[in-house]
Amino acid sequence: MTKFYKQTFLSFTVAGVFSFFSYGTFAQSDPTGERRVTGTYAITNATVLAAPGAAARTATIIVKNGLIDQIGNNPTIPLDAQTIKGDSLFVYAGFIDLTSTVGVAAPSIPERPANFDPSRPAPVYVGITPQYEVLNYFDALEEDADKWRKTGVTTLHLLPKGEGMLPGTTAVVLNGQKGASNVLSSSGSLYVRFQTVRGLSPGTTLGIMAKWREIYQNAELSAKHQTLFAGNNGVVRAEKDPVLEAFFPVINRQVPVLFEVSNELDIRRVLGLQKEKGFNLIVSGVNEGSSLVPVLKASKAQVVISLDVPDDNAFKKEIKEASEEVNDNLERVKEAYLARLALATNFEKEGIPFAFGSTNVKSEDFLKNIRLMVENGLSEEAALAALTTNPAGMLGLERVLGTVEKGKLANLVITTDSLFKKTAEVKHVFVDGYLFQYETNGESNESDKSKKNDLTGAWDYETVTPQGSSSGLMTIKNEDGKYSGTITFDDPEGSGSKSADLSNIKVSGKTLEFQFNVDVQGMSISVSVSGEVSGNEYEGKLTIPDFGSVPFTASKSPDSNI
Amino acid sequence: MKRIIYILSAFLSINLAVGQTPVKKGNVLIQNATVLTITDGVQEETDVLVENGIIKKIGKGLSAPSNTPSINAKGKYLMPGIIDAHSHLALSVVNEATSPITAEVWMGDVVDPFDVGIYRALAGGVTVSNAMHGSANAIGGRNITLKHRYGTHNPEELIMTEAPRTIKFALGENPTRVHGRGKGIQPRSRMGVEAIIRNGFNEAIQYRKAWENYKKASGLKNSTAVPPKYNLRLETLADILEGKLIIHCHSYRADEINMLINVCKDFGIKNIVFTHVNEGFKVAPELAAYTLGASVFADWWAYKFEVYYSTSYNAAILAKNGVITSINSDDAELIRHLYHEAGKTQRYGELSDDEALAMITINPAKQLGIADKVGSIEEGKQADLVIFDKHPLSIYAIPQMTFVDGVKYFDINEDKNDQRIKVSPTEVVEPIFLGDHDHKCMHGVEMFEETGEFFGTH
Repeated sequence: MTKFYKQTFLSFTVAGVFSFFSYGTFAQSDPTGERRVTGTYAITNATVLAAPGAAARTATIIVKNGLIDQIGNNPTIPLDAQTIKGDSLFVYAGFIDLTSTVGVAAPSIPERPANFDPSRPAPVYVGITPQYEVLNYFDALEEDADKWRKTGVTTLHLLPKGEGMLPGTTAVVLNGQKGASNVLSSSGSLYVRFQTVRGLSPGTTLGIMAKWREIYQNAELSAKHQTLFAGNNGVVRAEKDPVLEAFFPVINRQVPVLFEVSNELDIRRVLGLQKEKGFNLIVSGVNEGSSLVPVLKASKAQVVISLDVPDDNAFKKEIKEASEEVNDNLERVKEAYLARLALATNFEKEGIPFAFGSTNVKSEDFLKNIRLMVENGLSEEAALAALTTNPAGMLGLERVLGTVEKGKLANLVITTDSLFKKTAEVKHVFVDGYLFQYETNGESNESDKSKKNDLTGAWDYETVTPQGSSSGLMTIKNEDGKYSGTITFDDPEGSGSKSADLSNIKVSGKTLEFQFNVDVQGMSISVSVSGEVSGNEYEGKLTIPDFGSVPFTASKSPDSNI
Repeated sequence: MKRIIYILSAFLSINLAVGQTPVKKGNVLIQNATVLTITDGVQEETDVLVENGIIKKIGKGLSAPSNTPSINAKGKYLMPGIIDAHSHLALSVVNEATSPITAEVWMGDVVDPFDVGIYRALAGGVTVSNAMHGSANAIGGRNITLKHRYGTHNPEELIMTEAPRTIKFALGENPTRVHGRGKGIQPRSRMGVEAIIRNGFNEAIQYRKAWENYKKASGLKNSTAVPPKYNLRLETLADILEGKLIIHCHSYRADEINMLINVCKDFGIKNIVFTHVNEGFKVAPELAAYTLGASVFADWWAYKFEVYYSTSYNAAILAKNGVITSINSDDAELIRHLYHEAGKTQRYGELSDDEALAMITINPAKQLGIADKVGSIEEGKQADLVIFDKHPLSIYAIPQMTFVDGVKYFDINEDKNDQRIKVSPTEVVEPIFLGDHDHKCMHGVEMFEETGEFFGTH
């Protein structure tokens, strides 16, 4: 349950006094208590980024009847408006996810008949159902939808689910209030994937390529036949084939084909098919292909970059006594990783516009991965365009979506800081003029202050070196907000243990870093430790210059708080 | 005006770059080599001049335009690039094992330019390979002839566009196991395989006829003729009947080879090559009389029941009977030393150097329909060349440099260790599939096995 409901409920009684004046209020009861008091809002003095590349300006926005009613320095705030003080907040147009499956169910596949021949299955058994419209398999938005709303996604381009290469056609819905009609556009793209149903024909990419060509060609022939049949006597009756008919809008260039790809070779295959027939194309799931820039440009295909970013574990793995060959290899893996993160940057430089798609991405990684791309050179302007104006254009909805402008749908994302800063959080979201509010960490930190990690105390630590493990005690104190401490360790020059003071103690969030000096044979070696605290556990690494790093773990005795 | 021309030409060249896949072509002068021409004997201390990817001149003391790089190959051997008539290299998918006939699929759709196996093949002197569909179906997919222009991201650059189309057929145990036993449909036996092929061709005849009738009728005034359904599978089979494709048929037993020869005779098909052909020695005269020959293993057999009756003398017997004979790899490892495989015909059959080398050069070129372009060192042919340090039929020979279209793609001294084009961002050690080379021919069909048992491979 979002905060929206609670807030509405609380303000219901207060607002009731004024309801006599307010627009659209009727003398009837609302036993659910869920109906909102007002659909009019004022976001005052916020920093507004109206469009990608536009300068930030301070303005007040009036939302009314689901639209952006006013935007300006000092518009008159309607009497029935609920006010959101935007002084420290940033306002963006709502984000559009071009590859969402929120609330979409897979159609059921009928049972196979007794004499089923896997080499010649009817289309329905192999997911060749382009006539299926996703909205018929779309249920009212669930909790899932709120997760995405919370990350700023206000518009969903819904992809049909199901097995096989042609699961159906897409649609656009608002990620809005449950119970409201959120459908924005039902005539979406034809969705195609390189996916097959196990054991049936077509079974591989080979079969899919051939099947696509055959269906397309037959759809063209069927269209021709139907025209002939409609206009002449004595023509053999044109059979109605739902699969072929679903291709007619594609052939007539009325809707694009949205082709899901998973690598560069897929992209090339799809561009090849487009070259053969010239249909309008959206390539979705693009995750590599910097070398494709000229062909992509020539094809005029629209591009959806996948936000499914690989993890960086592989090349960060520490390999003991790595040979030169292994190190070179790690370097190549790292290059490949960075190239993936810089793909969007590359496309931006080359002038290829793109949107983002969330296939295989968790909602909590949505903004995180975009920020990762921004860190790797993508401009904030291009990132915002990929979230707003570009997808709006691809969907042909640029008239109503994509920017913060008077007359457009009131789809707004309001954040606590500039969107691409790591610390920025989504605080309010408007979808279709409905307000959703979210608790931000800044707020929860206040209330959770007591739960904050307490570092002070005695920690038993252990570190594992190639020579064996060693352990000791580290003590941390906090006096007037300043940390200090000592650490004991095995005397490297003999038996027994020695002690040293901790220096440069840095604490930020969960991370704790410090250094200490070890004297060996008249030399003072500076050892540094960094890691993360979680409750009474500390996990990090200890680094000795010119030697390398070893794991360092510590745990605090619960009653040792000083 | 100049500016306009400049813009115009820039525009045109961009269009060209997009419209047609540019293929790199090189210039080089290779001097003082022992040139194994294959078709014109051995020429000692001879130069070969390559211009724009084509062998311009063969002779002594040749001079080249000033900017042509030259290589002194004194004491070394120059032979034409090795050609493999049966390979599954550089393919993302091998089998569309879902139907006894899949003539609609095309290996050109799944060429994987990132396969480092291409580079390894170059390191074994192989410049051309026939990237084939697997042997799961009686009639498989159309194959693609590749030139090993390694280093590109664009699969189209690897395709030898001037090569005629070829298609995979398969007889015997593989198609009957996959479809008959695996799925309970035809073919369950060798008889079923024949029936599948004959039915396919007969349907294709009817299909072609239907289209011809439609084309005739739709040309008439006020025509109300209705187009038939398009069928890419039958379209391809009809093209085979019209001689537009060369069949490369996976086969082992003499009886099934004879069967397909008879089928081809009945349907007037002339372009057929038999591949594997372990019992080919039993039907050598028939193969010589009616086919484009046999593409065999040097000495590989007994990996399943139908491959027991075999001999290492197969290649030599076929060759001596006038069968165009090639030795193929069918395998990403074997492709790296096909010159060893060719050498085995000297141990088993005492073939001459020229006869042995023809089996990995001009003969496979003939079977792929590209013998006028590659397969020997002749003026006017494409400059696919390999320099060996010793005679390539010596067990000590090691390829030094390999050229495709006059461009050097392999150099044993200069190349980096890591020749991968593409690297995974998430895997330091990319997965290696042990024994993968054993079942490329049946790649991707295990799922159709009744019990997961794996009987045979090729």
